[in-house]
Amino acid sequence: MKSVVIISSSPEESQKIGRAIGKLLTAGDVVCLYGDLGSGKTCLAQGIIKGLDVAEDKYLRSPTFTLINQYKGRMPVCHLDLYRLDNINEIEDIGIEEHIGGDEVVIIEWAERLEKLLPEKRIDIHISSVNVNTRKLIISCPDNRFEESLYI
Amino acid sequence: MLILGIETSCDETAAAVVEVSHEHGIKIKSNIIASQHEIHNKYGGVVPELACRRHIENINPVITEAIDKAGVKLNDIELFAVTKCPGLVVALLVGLSTAKAIAYALKKPLIGVNHLEGHILSIFLEKPDLSFPFFSLLVSGGHTELYLIEDFGKYKALGRSRDDAAGEAFDKASKMLKLGYPGGPAIEKTAISGNPLSINFPRAYIDKDSLDFSFSGVKTALKNYLDGFIPPYSTSSIFLPDVAASFQQAVVDVLINKAFLAAKMYNVKTIVIAGGVASNKLLREGMKKRGTAEGVSVYHPSPILCTDNAAMIACAGYHRFIKERDACCNFYDMDAEAQMSL
Repeated sequence: MKSVVIISSSPEESQKIGRAIGKLLTAGDVVCLYGDLGSGKTCLAQGIIKGLDVAEDKYLRSPTFTLINQYKGRMPVCHLDLYRLDNINEIEDIGIEEHIGGDEVVIIEWAERLEKLLPEKRIDIHISSVNVNTRKLIISCPDNRFEESLYI
Repeated sequence: MLILGIETSCDETAAAVVEVSHEHGIKIKSNIIASQHEIHNKYGGVVPELACRRHIENINPVITEAIDKAGVKLNDIELFAVTKCPGLVVALLVGLSTAKAIAYALKKPLIGVNHLEGHILSIFLEKPDLSFPFFSLLVSGGHTELYLIEDFGKYKALGRSRDDAAGEAFDKASKMLKLGYPGGPAIEKTAISGNPLSINFPRAYIDKDSLDFSFSGVKTALKNYLDGFIPPYSTSSIFLPDVAASFQQAVVDVLINKAFLAAKMYNVKTIVIAGGVASNKLLREGMKKRGTAEGVSVYHPSPILCTDNAAMIACAGYHRFIKERDACCNFYDMDAEAQMSL
């Protein structure tokens, strides 16, 4: 597992980093986002979705309420938010496995709630707050694509 | 004409009977809501599977109660109206399948209703003489949208949230402050003894002419405050009512300013607030005060019609039925849809 640490100093920069991550994704990738409420998971996800060439990129809304938002980008994109789900049974009930392992790029907020359902091959991004606008992003990936290309 | 409305798109299992007549217009005969807040409170949000399971338990008793309270018989119902979108599909399906089964068995027409249209038209249950055009500011846990309403069935979306809905911001803030669910009423109650000017949380206006909303920034600002990243840099001096009052003020300010910016841009003199957050007193009073100053009439339904309810679904169903009478007898293929705009 290769890890890359990136510091973002604003929501705009996080979106830029997200966009760069999105450009490096391929069909079937599962991106898991971890971090507290307000740490910027949705903000980063919005950037990633833009990097996947989704056309309606103005309204990439939080999937907290809808649970699953789907978009058409370079490949189908599925943005999930498990915030409101409490245990693994409930997550299974919303049919999450139907999205993982197909052609879709799947972005999952609060991915820790997936527990054992998390695929082994995945991209983990841990976000933590350093101060008001600064966020530390730790990206872990089975291959080294981010190491080579994310320093822009 | 007697109409039975059924609503199961999110928290609430609801059924209502309304009667439409030439003399009295649309009159509510019963409006029954079984809320699931108690179960969800434990989780700090809506849990779809739980919601679904409780809808199944609630739906028949709620419909029976609505019929009994209205003093009618199921056989007397001439039209069924049910929410088919948007919402949690597993929850929507409970109402939709029940409505289909009853309408099929009784050989009566059934119409699928967009939940958002229900909220927008709910004002006509209390103010039938309201004239078009008007603005509808629809604010709830899942939606923050601004529509220009030109006629029944003629809606123009002018702005919506680019990230979190206003109600979602309240829910998440409430969770951070450990005040419970649903967040809006919890924050409102805590805010009563607080000073709304004590913390200057940011108001996001996007750009000068935009009618879109963004509430993720204010949520992050609250987190920064609670993390001690911004003054007073220490959580020991936090006074919860001040935080709740300041947060509420920041959200409400944006809602009011955007609604009145829209009224000015389109020269429309009436604004109707709808959806769960429309029950918020600070929003209602702030809108009315600004309306008086700017010559704009502001209306909102009673709290019972702001929350998810089935009377609004029956009302919206009736207006659709007048226009699409023929389609209502052929409802077998109707399906629930999670994301559908008006």
